[in-house]
Amino acid sequence: MRVSEGEPRGRFAELYNPGIFQEHEEVIVFTRQEFNQIYTSIQEQINYINKADLHLDRSEDWKLIGYWPKIMEKVHILDANMDSIFKKEPLQTYLDAYLYESTGNHEKKATASKNTVSVKL
Amino acid sequence: MRYSYGIMDRRKILLYNPQLFLKGCDILAFPSKDFHKWHSDIKEYIDGLYQINTREETEQINIVDLNLALGVLGNITEELENLFDSGKRSDFSYQYISTLEEKYKKQKSSYTSDMRRCDMRVPVITPALKYQNLMEVVRFAEREFERAMRERWVEIILI
Repeated sequence: MRVSEGEPRGRFAELYNPGIFQEHEEVIVFTRQEFNQIYTSIQEQINYINKADLHLDRSEDWKLIGYWPKIMEKVHILDANMDSIFKKEPLQTYLDAYLYESTGNHEKKATASKNTVSVKL
Repeated sequence: MRYSYGIMDRRKILLYNPQLFLKGCDILAFPSKDFHKWHSDIKEYIDGLYQINTREETEQINIVDLNLALGVLGNITEELENLFDSGKRSDFSYQYISTLEEKYKKQKSSYTSDMRRCDMRVPVITPALKYQNLMEVVRFAEREFERAMRERWVEIILI
């Protein structure tokens, strides 16, 4: 799918490569941060199920009875995530934390104060 | 999630809800038609997973169902990759609208009757049982100690 990053400037948003869209084409705009949260969460659920499958020995299919509810739990989260894309409510995925962030955080670094602070002992 | 539609106007996007976005934040723009198609595709696959989950009370889940579910998951993974692949064209021949009833989406607890049966049979810890457990630990330590000693002796003899 065609996708472009950009930056909002008042009522307009400027794209980094506007050429891929046609004139008067309708677009849908998300914030990158939130979309990243959703996307990572979806991938995380899929990875979980795939890992569960890897750990499952195919000759011991009775173990599947235990695995299956957990798999469905993850499917439920997947479904909830997909629904939350077009909802006004704040994202639940803000509560997730990952050991390895796929993209760097965009928090601005605190600058050191220029004023010298005298310390009284 | 915050989202806004917009329209391309002289190489810029005219946002319908510009108040949602802060000035400095990065945004992602997708063609809305393609995005809705992508969303409906994934919803279709998820509904498929729910359908696999739906079965008679007496029937049990088996490996065939798991294989099916993994196949559907593979499709979802592919869709996720396609989202950022600019070469892919969406297929607009149909659009899926989820009409799956909510009752099929209900989560069943993973706590089964077998688990309950095991939980009900919790042994009462009596002093005799405690002693038995202690002896088991001691016997294990003894065996480990013996093994270590034997290895020591072998080393000494070799030297």
